[in-house]
Amino acid sequence: MAKILVVADIKQGELKSSTAELLSKARAIGAETAVVAVGSNMSSLTPDLVNAGSDTQYMADDPGLELFSAGPFASCVVDAAKQFNANLIWFGFSESGKAAAPRVAAQLEAACATEITDVVIDGEQIEIVRPAIANKVMQRVKVNTGQLVAVVRAGAFEAADGVTGTENIVTLSPPPSDLKAVIKELVSDASGEIDLADADIVISIGRGAKDQAGVDLVKELANDLNAGFGSSRAMVDGGFMAHNKQVGQTGKIVAPSLYMAIGISGAIQHLAGMNGSKVILAVNKDPEAPIFNVADYGIVGDLFEVVPILREEIKKVRS
Amino acid sequence: MKILTTVKKVVDVELTIRIADGAIVEDGLQYVINAWDENAVEASVQLKENNGAETTLVSIGGGDNTDIIRKCYAMGIENGIHIEDPALEKADSSIYAKVLQKVYEKGDYDLVITGKQAQDTDSGQTGIMLAEYLGLPCVSNVIAIEVIDEQHVKVSRLGDAGTERVELELPAVVTVSDSINEPRLPAMRGVMMAKKKKIEVMDLAALGTSPEEVGGGAPKSEVVEFMASKTRQSGQKFEGNAADITTRVVDLLVNEAKVL
Ligand SMILES: Cc1cc2nc3c(=O)[nH]c(=O)nc-3n(C[C@H](O)[C@H](O)[C@H](O)COP(=O)(O)OP(=O)(O)OC[C@H]3O[C@@H](n4cnc5c(N)ncnc54)[C@H](O)[C@@H]3O)c2cc1C
Repeated sequence: MAKILVVADIKQGELKSSTAELLSKARAIGAETAVVAVGSNMSSLTPDLVNAGSDTQYMADDPGLELFSAGPFASCVVDAAKQFNANLIWFGFSESGKAAAPRVAAQLEAACATEITDVVIDGEQIEIVRPAIANKVMQRVKVNTGQLVAVVRAGAFEAADGVTGTENIVTLSPPPSDLKAVIKELVSDASGEIDLADADIVISIGRGAKDQAGVDLVKELANDLNAGFGSSRAMVDGGFMAHNKQVGQTGKIVAPSLYMAIGISGAIQHLAGMNGSKVILAVNKDPEAPIFNVADYGIVGDLFEVVPILREEIKKVRS
Repeated sequence: MKILTTVKKVVDVELTIRIADGAIVEDGLQYVINAWDENAVEASVQLKENNGAETTLVSIGGGDNTDIIRKCYAMGIENGIHIEDPALEKADSSIYAKVLQKVYEKGDYDLVITGKQAQDTDSGQTGIMLAEYLGLPCVSNVIAIEVIDEQHVKVSRLGDAGTERVELELPAVVTVSDSINEPRLPAMRGVMMAKKKKIEVMDLAALGTSPEEVGGGAPKSEVVEFMASKTRQSGQKFEGNAADITTRVVDLLVNEAKVL
């Protein structure tokens, strides 16, 4: 039987939904499951880790692990993987996961795959499916070792209802800190804002929004809808939006039930971050903009004219 | 400071990619320098210009890489190494990293800069694995590099919780995001000069290693099939009076798509 170790995705002290999604998938495959949590002050997270569907919880809980550092993070995962004898080690889609997975694979001499969207286990043989070339193609990849370290693409697996695990805590000893890569400072993202990855509706702006007035205009719509407020790279480069708001290959991958692309042309690098959304609405004044090729609903028009109407109409139907 | 930059030749992602019988159709493809590696080259050249450094690039595979290596020369890179060996045909990231390890060990470098991922695989593993094999400190997804002194650089990384500022002891490996810089367009003079520069082409033997040592014949994973990705159908597009079409679309979002 496969043994799947899921690396808990913890952000600002909270367990992210990807952990339950990965554990649900692992259970659906019929695997034995464990989770490894790396951080500090995590005792209150234990029920969440169990409820997410893990049957063993490896805890690396240490003040030295409060700030992310890829080396120590990877050491903890390797430690848990060895103790659990895992043949699959899964990270949720996150910058920490992307940074740690190749280290873990190198240390275990395991195969490594990022952005996987599916996995098929047939006896000893593991195969995965993943996108490549900016999502233009899918690859079926055969794993030639018995062990695979993978980063699962955001939204690939769904959390099943009624899943729960059993509590069986194993305490890991804290790893040495990385003295050659010392984190000096963390400039935190603005807190209190809706995490794009969690939002049910994401509204993103592009260069078409032009300036601060455009940003503010669309932001009001996002506030009305309690939506995540995202961006193309153009508006991040322009200094109007924070880096962590960028959607696309270099930024966040989102798959909300509704994605609104406002003044975004639809470059492949942007599409790679949002074309898994259930419904896409595009507002663009250029009827030939490539974003319309992927949009379920398209409004050809000037966003400065369209967005206020959109707000009003949505207010009407919602009240 | 001696800087090693990695450069991969990849398929141009802007063009249509067709698939037949589980493979990518070669016909009509074009090859270019991996965009993130272009950021790595730009970062190296900026360090050379601002702090003084010797810059070398290495490219593995790709057949005739003269064009992309010359482009990097024209951008300001000084030396170029091209590793080409039939044993690397099915290389995975771990094998690339092992080959890079050999290149690194021959050169006594202080800093390795790679793109954060390659556009043909979107894997994002090679640079990080290289660091792991060399036992060097590594920071990925870097958006700024600042030299502190001969032994240290300070880098900014986009992480999950915000921007991390990390002090790295050299030698070290960093993988860079496209947010780090805007790669320059080479000046005409640079393009002319680049044509005269040598490219050092080597196979694994010349590099002092063998297919066995780098795992050449035995990739840990291999692509067995390419498939078309699910393409979205374009839906309903509305033109005309802004108020009318917007009202219509809101109605559809509520009653047809049921997402509002
Ligand atoms: C390696 C690499 C990685 C990248 N990663 C990302 C990434 O992660 N995310 C990302 O987004 N990009 C990424 N890019 C950049 C990407 O290629 C595009 O340059 C970028 O997405 C363009 O942003 P945009 O659509 O806002 O701007 P533009 O392409 O300039 O489009 C602006 C659009 O706004 C429309 N418009 C203008 N005025 C109005 C108006 N008044 N009303 C309505 N519409 C209007 C225009 O018709 C146009 O379609 C990456 C590029 C590279 C090379």
